[in-house]
Amino acid sequence: MKPVEIIDIDVSYGAKKILEAITFHADAGEILGIIGPNGSGKTTLLKAMSRVVARDSGEIRLDSRNLDTLGYRELARQVAVVPQDISIGFDYTVRDIVMMGRHPYIGRLASETLRDVEICDHAMHLTNVAHLTGMSIHDISGGERQRVLIARALAQEPKILLLDEATSNLDVSHQVEILNIIRDLTGKITVVSVFHDLNLAAYYCDRLLLLKDRKVYATGTPEEVLTYENIREIFQMETLVKPHPLTGRPYILPVYTHQSGVGTNRRVHVVCGGGTGSDILQLLHAAGFTVTCGILNVLDTDYGTAMHLGLPCVAEPPFHGITPESLSGLRECLDDADAIVVTAMPIGRGNLDNLRVLLDYRTKPIILYSRNSNSPMEDYTGGEAAAVLADLETRGALRVEEAEELLARLSQGYSGRS
Amino acid sequence: MRRTAFITIPALACTLLVSVACAAALGPTGISPGSLLSLPNAWTIIWDVRLPRVIAAALVGCALAVAGTAMQGLFRNPMADPHIIGTSSGGALGATIAIVLFAGAGRPVFAFAGAMAATFAVYFISRKRGKIPVETLLLSGIALSTLLAALLSFLMYTAGRSLHQIMFWLMGGLWNVSWDDVIVALPILVGCAGIYLFARDVNILSLSEEDATHLGVNVEGLKRILLVLSALVAGIAVAVAGSIGFIGLITPHVMRLIVGPDHRLLFPAAALAGAILLVWSDTLTRTFTNDMPVGIITACFGAPFFIYLLRSRMKT
Repeated sequence: MKPVEIIDIDVSYGAKKILEAITFHADAGEILGIIGPNGSGKTTLLKAMSRVVARDSGEIRLDSRNLDTLGYRELARQVAVVPQDISIGFDYTVRDIVMMGRHPYIGRLASETLRDVEICDHAMHLTNVAHLTGMSIHDISGGERQRVLIARALAQEPKILLLDEATSNLDVSHQVEILNIIRDLTGKITVVSVFHDLNLAAYYCDRLLLLKDRKVYATGTPEEVLTYENIREIFQMETLVKPHPLTGRPYILPVYTHQSGVGTNRRVHVVCGGGTGSDILQLLHAAGFTVTCGILNVLDTDYGTAMHLGLPCVAEPPFHGITPESLSGLRECLDDADAIVVTAMPIGRGNLDNLRVLLDYRTKPIILYSRNSNSPMEDYTGGEAAAVLADLETRGALRVEEAEELLARLSQGYSGRS
Repeated sequence: MRRTAFITIPALACTLLVSVACAAALGPTGISPGSLLSLPNAWTIIWDVRLPRVIAAALVGCALAVAGTAMQGLFRNPMADPHIIGTSSGGALGATIAIVLFAGAGRPVFAFAGAMAATFAVYFISRKRGKIPVETLLLSGIALSTLLAALLSFLMYTAGRSLHQIMFWLMGGLWNVSWDDVIVALPILVGCAGIYLFARDVNILSLSEEDATHLGVNVEGLKRILLVLSALVAGIAVAVAGSIGFIGLITPHVMRLIVGPDHRLLFPAAALAGAILLVWSDTLTRTFTNDMPVGIITACFGAPFFIYLLRSRMKT
């Protein structure tokens, strides 16, 4: 028996279709996140579940009971909704608002009992608003008001809690505070929430439902749904998807791509490693250069970046020296490149050949790029790498420290020889 | 709930009783307790003329205040009132039709039907995507009131009635009230009691319609019931006393300041205060101003209050 089952529902406003053939379910005690771009129907889906919006077809079941067979009060005892924010016209106190959550339990001729008061007190305690009881709803902050609305929802003693971007008007610390409260409720309550922020959704949800163009695009765990490919397809945006260092959940970093086009028809090979090349790979890619890189270890951050950007990369397995096959792959890249960029990467025996091979390319412009002159290349080769670099410099390789300068040099067709 | 609330209601009830007693004693012919025995027709004046009029004034004031409170909660709009949104004009036209076409038979029924038609018309005209903005509510109320007042004047004029009678319906007055009118006005108490049963629902509805649905309120059903009951009490009030303005606007506002926004207290407080307000307004006009329409008095302090509300809304 599922707490929520949505079976093939269609919703439209007038002639405009808002949702089409939506089918999914929520498991008992989980947090199910609904994500998707603006206009994909997230909020409407939530409204269909709280019966504020009528369906054209399909069925919604709560604990195997058809949603349409429930009375108004009965529905409010099963499902509570926390809205995004509400403007309250009259000057109610916090307790008045929370007590309204008991409305579906109190008969028309009855008034609230001691038990109703206790339930409200408990709800206010859980959401940490007990100290605000007598305050006017107008005299408290946005974060406090949102917690009051959650307390009101909890006073309904619902089996299912629906949240419509319940935290998106708040600053980060209040968002986290409220979502922590919500997560502490799970087990007892099934939560279905619309999220705008993909990272919050990834962190707090057990499963995600991704909507696109009125339809379900993907469902599953955050790892399954929040893939680089899905996000690019849905939001038409470049991102880096990485495991969060503390939680292991997917973490999405937007890439603020700006296509300047200065590098069109020019090839650049980047020799990098240890994360020193990620920004340059991104920058050159965005500027329109045809970028190759390598040789990199497949566990290297720069390798991950290259893969996310879809750049050709010569790579080796971890803890593996450079093989002759890779080296010939690198030579092919270098042969085709109009210019070569070397970052201030850490160099050991394993990747020294990356530098040595450059000595064979006397005619190619070479730029030694370091983001910060105070952190020079880490040399683990006992001076060998430094010697190679010095050799390259005497042959005309140029040191550059600013990303803008690097871009300017590369786009001017810098030859490196004087 | 505020601490003052528990004192306010008994205090208002006492004030109403004292007001009724004072109003019965006051008038063009001053009647003191001593003169009750000496003057032969003193009892007749009190019993047949003043008391029905004072009681009718209390009932009509109560009806207008409760209808105003219900409409303000229902429309989530503090500018609503039976006079402003056209309910009273609809009631007046209904009563006029009964007088002109049926010699006054079924006057309260016609007034109720007219009040309800006007209320629902304004509701549907000003509603936009589930919301009722202040501007459209006021403007559609004014437009409809003007049209209805014109129809009323036309009917009266062609029927050869005097200007005095037209003025009665447009401005309201209690000068012909008898015990029969008090009996006609009694269903007001039933209507107000009916509205009171939905006090908690109105509290929730005054947040937002969607929110009210989430909390288990049948919003569409509640709106229909409240509009019908408000039109009922306001329509009866008009059938008895013509269309008296601003009682339904001012009373809920002042009482909200004293007892807070909880309609479980606000309804009874407004009912008592509305009754007191109209009893004194009527006493004022019949004692000092030779029985001019009481609507002139209520408009004199009501309209400036209305303007003040509009100005203070603009500031926020």
